[in-house]
Amino acid sequence: MESLTASLERVFGYTTFRAGQQAALTALEDQKDTLAVLPTGAGKTLIYQLYGYRHPGCVLVVSPLLALMNDQVDRMRVAGFRQVAAVTSLTSFTERQEILAQLDQYRFLFLSPEMLAQPAVLSRIQQISLSLLVVDEAHCIVQWGPDFRPEYLLLGAIRERLGRPLALLLTATADHTTRIEIAKQMRVTPTVVAEPIDRPNVFLDVETVANETEKRERLLGLVSQLQTPGVVYFSSKQQATDTASWLQEQTGLAVAAYHAGLSSEDRFKIQQQFMQDDLAVICATSAFGMGIDKNDIRFVIHYHLPADLGSYVQEMGRAGRDGQTSVAILLYAPGDERLPQALNETNRPDDVTIRRFYATPQHFSLEEPGIRLLTFYRDHGISEPAVHALFERRERERRAALDRMVAYVREPTCLRQNWLTAFDQTAPDHQAKTCCAPGGQDLDITALGLRRTPAEAVTAPNSDWQTQLAGLLTAAPAVPEG
Amino acid sequence: MEADDLLQLLSSRQARRLRVIENLLRGRRTVSTLFWGQRYRLLYLLDLGKALTRGGLDGPAQALVDRQLATWEAEEQPQLRLTPAGVAAQHAAQPFVPQTAVLWPQLDINAARKRLLLGVQVVSEYQHQTKRYYPLATDLATRQLVRRWFYQSDRQQLGTALQATLTRSLARLPERVATVTVAGFTGYQQPGLTNQQLAVRWQTTAWQVYLMHIEAVVTIAQAAQVATDPLSGLLGPLWTVPVTKSAQATLAAVQAGGTLDQIARQRRIKPSTVREHLLEAAIMLPEAAFPYERLLPATTQRTLLALLPAAIDDWTYTDLAPAVQAKIDFFTFRLLAIWQDKRGDSHGKSNG
Repeated sequence: MESLTASLERVFGYTTFRAGQQAALTALEDQKDTLAVLPTGAGKTLIYQLYGYRHPGCVLVVSPLLALMNDQVDRMRVAGFRQVAAVTSLTSFTERQEILAQLDQYRFLFLSPEMLAQPAVLSRIQQISLSLLVVDEAHCIVQWGPDFRPEYLLLGAIRERLGRPLALLLTATADHTTRIEIAKQMRVTPTVVAEPIDRPNVFLDVETVANETEKRERLLGLVSQLQTPGVVYFSSKQQATDTASWLQEQTGLAVAAYHAGLSSEDRFKIQQQFMQDDLAVICATSAFGMGIDKNDIRFVIHYHLPADLGSYVQEMGRAGRDGQTSVAILLYAPGDERLPQALNETNRPDDVTIRRFYATPQHFSLEEPGIRLLTFYRDHGISEPAVHALFERRERERRAALDRMVAYVREPTCLRQNWLTAFDQTAPDHQAKTCCAPGGQDLDITALGLRRTPAEAVTAPNSDWQTQLAGLLTAAPAVPEG
Repeated sequence: MEADDLLQLLSSRQARRLRVIENLLRGRRTVSTLFWGQRYRLLYLLDLGKALTRGGLDGPAQALVDRQLATWEAEEQPQLRLTPAGVAAQHAAQPFVPQTAVLWPQLDINAARKRLLLGVQVVSEYQHQTKRYYPLATDLATRQLVRRWFYQSDRQQLGTALQATLTRSLARLPERVATVTVAGFTGYQQPGLTNQQLAVRWQTTAWQVYLMHIEAVVTIAQAAQVATDPLSGLLGPLWTVPVTKSAQATLAAVQAGGTLDQIARQRRIKPSTVREHLLEAAIMLPEAAFPYERLLPATTQRTLLALLPAAIDDWTYTDLAPAVQAKIDFFTFRLLAIWQDKRGDSHGKSNG
């Protein structure tokens, strides 16, 4: 068999691997189940693409985000992989049937855990030969599984039913405890490939403001001064939408909102506009990001406090993938931790509901996510006391994760050290100018070289529709040479 | 849909049920929804808001009431009526009024729009010799159809031919509609603007932009009914009779001369279903395509019209005397209302 590097060059045209890719591929080539903890932007997908190219059979990718899966399929098609399909709850019945009927023709198949857990789908997949089972964003097993995607908890059992195919677990964020939990749930003892997660070119900043009004003002100040493109993260769709139009009015920059509530057509357009720099700033929820390949994002601002440090790192890690200086800013007003707390609580059925549900499950509507979760547990033979215990444990874990996040916000000395220590890594020596500005220390945008030079006025294309249509559908005449 | 959009769907002369508007948008084709959709002259809304949730218009409706542009009328279902201020606001907004609306229920608009957008993108990228690009995210069926259409077309001519037909169709529309439509296309170095972005640029609402897009899609699909049009293979087959297959079969059986009970037995459906099919067909088809005379004998018509109020909206079956109800069923009553409406009852034109 040709060397990994030769395959890399043949398929992707690169001559060298990025950090972590080769180690993961080597482990897989040795038929070792692998957990790859690689920072955002490290090129995790290349690992299974190349493995799939080198081995017969189908690569089955279990992925958490429905919208993301279709993106991935498109990206693979663009990259020249043709036999790719995704089956999710968004896939129409006909389309699903068609894909399942011709399953052996696909080399890469993306499924949501919910889809894979369906007996009809699972039995079809049992009939084909799998070269690799990939769990993308594997931290979701731990983060989401017990709370609202319980099918994640079945993945270990499902893998056994598939005859224990070689497993690749991918994540950008997993501390020691999470790694152990992932391995336990998946029933594997994986080879761990972990790369340093530090992003030395991303300056970290926490800014404490007195209240919401001051936070808005500060956001406006930052967006008006910082070099673009940039992303502002929110916890609510509505606030992302409202703030996008407000920022656009106030700054004159092209700003758009991106969240899971948009139609797929709109999501596509916003993503592409951002990719080709038609947009300067995106106001997003966590739906934005996984799968976005934009290297020159100069700032990531968090308007709301993320629920845990892992999510924060994942999102702020989209800044500066090109290696150029960038900044990750977290805006914090006292009491901000109440929002993630409340969101946690709404996800979870309370004690009374659990008791009543177990007494008379038929009286409840499956439409509610909490009830769906309880039904799942009950159907899988988990007793009422065990469910109570499970939810209580999750509650404690989430509270601990949020405390960890708040500890980051309150860190007085070095944010980077605070972050890296939490992920069992060693931080470089703190250099105030290039490392971070914890709460109470000023962020010097100019010193970082991130101050926007007075913008050349963005002019909307003035051409009439006839000219625009001609531009779309008529090739520009070739420029004569010489 | 925002409050300002809902404002355009209301009237001062006719109280309108919010749930009917909601159900039209969501594509819930019950006979009652269709009948009131016809009465409100809003049948063109069918299927236009598939993503709307139940109760999704309650917020915008209450906002109109809070702004004193409309009032609630207590009925079995909540009804809204515009206030004089509402009428003034409606006119001041200078809304876009689609000219092709009567055709909308005859076209599978959602499919037509998806096919047109992907078709334009594919041809655009081909014309600029882009090998690798992100295709618009859409369903497998649309992708396959567009691919087949593209490979079956004369690709050398396709760009020019497509530009020509689109230009011809768009030129028939107001300048603003054409501009908005083209700016929403995706293609070479043009991701396309979202409805929301176009709304900001044109100082209107995303819903109004959406209506303009549909006006353009329908106009383009009209041109595609000609076999030589480059889009005929893609859009032509999407024109349909706006009545379910099953209702068409029932109507055909009636036209062939059967009684309603015979047809029910023959088609193995409930007699009530036969009647629902016929009411659906009566509402959705032109007057000439439905055998009103056969189903509504002149004497029945005369009897009923003598008993009923002048305005169709005030007709209530249960207000008829029990003896009349015993002789004339609800089906006949409702069919007469539909026919009166189609024959241009003066109370029918209550838009505005």
